[in-house]
Amino acid sequence: MAQVKGGDIIVAQGSNPPSLDAMVTSSQASRNINMNIYETLYGFSEDVKPIPILAETVEISDDGLTYRFPLRQGVKFHNGKEMTAVDVKASLDRYREVGATGNLLDPVASIDITGDYEVTLTMNEAAPTFLEAFSSPRAPAVIIPAEEAGAEAGKTKFTGTGPYKFVEFVPDSHVKLERFEDYSADTRHSGADGFGGKKTAYFDTVTYRIMPEGGARIAALEAGEVHVLEQIPVPAAKRLADDPNIETHQNMPWAFLTFIMNMNVPPTDNIKFREAVQVALNMEEISAIATEGLYNLDHGWQYPGSTYDAGDIGKEYYNQADIPRAKALLQEAGYGGEEFSILTDSNIPEHNKSAVVIAENLKEAGINVVINQVDWPTALQVRLQTEGWNGWTLMMGIEPYLGPIGLIATLTRDKPHFVVNDPELDALQARMVKGQTVEERQAIFKEIQARLYSFFGVVKVGDTGLMQATRANVKGFKPFRFPRMYDVWFEG
Amino acid sequence: MTVDNGAVGDLAKEMAQARWRRRADFFRRLLSHRSFVIGLCLFGLIVFLAIFADLLAPFDPNKNDYRNILAPPSAAHWLGTDGFGRDILSRIVHGTRVSLRIGIVVVITTGVLGTFIGTFAGYVRWTDTFVMRIMDGLMAFPGVLLAIALAAALGPSEINAIIALTVTFTPRTARVVRASVLVVQRQPYVEAAIAAGAGHARIIFRYILANALSPLIVQLTFVFAVSILAEAILSFLGVGPPPPLPSLGNIIAEGRAYVQEASWISFFPGVAIACAVLGLNLMGDGLRDVIDPRLRNVREAG
Repeated sequence: MAQVKGGDIIVAQGSNPPSLDAMVTSSQASRNINMNIYETLYGFSEDVKPIPILAETVEISDDGLTYRFPLRQGVKFHNGKEMTAVDVKASLDRYREVGATGNLLDPVASIDITGDYEVTLTMNEAAPTFLEAFSSPRAPAVIIPAEEAGAEAGKTKFTGTGPYKFVEFVPDSHVKLERFEDYSADTRHSGADGFGGKKTAYFDTVTYRIMPEGGARIAALEAGEVHVLEQIPVPAAKRLADDPNIETHQNMPWAFLTFIMNMNVPPTDNIKFREAVQVALNMEEISAIATEGLYNLDHGWQYPGSTYDAGDIGKEYYNQADIPRAKALLQEAGYGGEEFSILTDSNIPEHNKSAVVIAENLKEAGINVVINQVDWPTALQVRLQTEGWNGWTLMMGIEPYLGPIGLIATLTRDKPHFVVNDPELDALQARMVKGQTVEERQAIFKEIQARLYSFFGVVKVGDTGLMQATRANVKGFKPFRFPRMYDVWFEG
Repeated sequence: MTVDNGAVGDLAKEMAQARWRRRADFFRRLLSHRSFVIGLCLFGLIVFLAIFADLLAPFDPNKNDYRNILAPPSAAHWLGTDGFGRDILSRIVHGTRVSLRIGIVVVITTGVLGTFIGTFAGYVRWTDTFVMRIMDGLMAFPGVLLAIALAAALGPSEINAIIALTVTFTPRTARVVRASVLVVQRQPYVEAAIAAGAGHARIIFRYILANALSPLIVQLTFVFAVSILAEAILSFLGVGPPPPLPSLGNIIAEGRAYVQEASWISFFPGVAIACAVLGLNLMGDGLRDVIDPRLRNVREAG
């Protein structure tokens, strides 16, 4: 396959990126674009291991207290300036201030420049899982020029070191990037690897068109007006599978489908009631309908076969659809027909469809369910309130990808999803981040999964997939956590 | 005296017979009006579905079946299934209930409120300017837009949809009623009633409203039709009755994502809405033709 340079590739996505200042947002709509513009010191490889990207390597002292990051030399920012230790320190200092997940630098006591091309992080105490957290693409700790590091959140000039540079953003219309001719590729690799590796930009420009209407996006792909859909409904993907002009791509597993309960208000403050919900649900029915058929039944809180897969723990509670047992548990809970309000949104089909099926399952068990369907931003506000909702349907995309620590972070410490902290889970989380070896952490994660299946604050419904589609003349496209626009080209 | 008594008795009998003849004549003309009959059939079909929904629907409208998602029309599911595997026919049959219920309640509320406001403004002349300027203010917003804004502000529920539609259509009804009240008020028989010393209540109900009723009825068929349509629009935009309750609008909305893969989801409820709205409009046209003597004369002359 001969790679050819040139062309304007058009990617359609449903919503505006909340920000193109990569540090400050954990939104997927932003990440899809930003990861082509910016790079981090460390990032995940294709098989989710931390690999150096802008760093040469990392040298961790034996006591685990200092992380020395020698930097790659000759790396240019989009403004033509060379990246040095000054920029790295300024970026990380800014990340601590405005980063959406700035708390991942909490274990870091100081960030010091120890050479023109070297930065050293000193820890408060040994943090064995720091490098994984630091490599997270959720709200990535990207490196930007020191002179932009003083800018408020969202007020930078969007200068990075990546293979494409920012040209313009017209909200509700498009974002335009162009190839960065002075890009310094990481020649240690033969090709792209996860978020790092040797990246080659072939397109002259990349245009992200903002198209909120799903049907319009698909029609535009069929008409050849756009080349990449980062998300396409399964029935449409099935229909387009036979179209010679279009290729569909399956990303599986992509996310956890979950049902979170508010442990602060009745009736969900009662553990027996929550257990009744857990055993009443028919996970197969919910997953099949919510994902339109692209799902795996999986009770685990890590993907099957991944490093921290905790095996069969909790499986006896999963996909039971056991209405008599649920009724018995409801009686034990002393349930008297209080309203059970399911919060969901109209924007993400998996959320509102699973809410409808969950409601039908629970009605069968005799629970007085109402569905409160609002728009996505409102749902995010309502669920932060300690009252006014009992259940909330949520797909967790990036958290399970990040591994057990990223996942458990959403269920512990400040504002856990289920509103009230579970002290035992918090204690397990604290042990988890300090676990010295993988084996030790695996053992702790088994306890975490067992704990999740004993207080039922959150229900794992299943693993869901994501379908993507490209025009057939787009070559080299490999499905990943974001649509990579490098190492992809138009057929001659 | 006996002769006189007999004459009065004959007169009363004759008047009763004349009234009865007029009514029979009215229904005869209505039923011979072709578009009214077509409208009655179309709308009657929808009403029939709504009344006997429980008997007619082959499935529970909210029964999910994940093995039969997006199944095309077949012997088991005559109109196919939706993304939840629910039977579209059953959902449409039950959906007509929600749509008609909203339509009827809106007709009653706008009818009562509109008549009250319109009569008040028309009869108590010094309030006219003030009341009608408020109505004009409400009418300055395009109808459906106002309903959407209100429903969005109040939150999605059936009651809120009814409130939104009532607020939207009351000014239009009030305006029609007021116009007829103003015309009727000047008629000699009203002046005669005033001269004979009739009270306000008698004048309003017996002489004015009774004669202003025809345009109101025509207007209310229009409100009914537009309410069904507006309910569909509100549900389509997600500010109507919340899921899983089927209404014609939210069945169409749910089918929007599958227009190319499963067009039957949106198509059949669309047909149902078209039947209901077209039926009501044809009935309204027929009523207007039959009620309005000027139009009748034109038609008969032509």
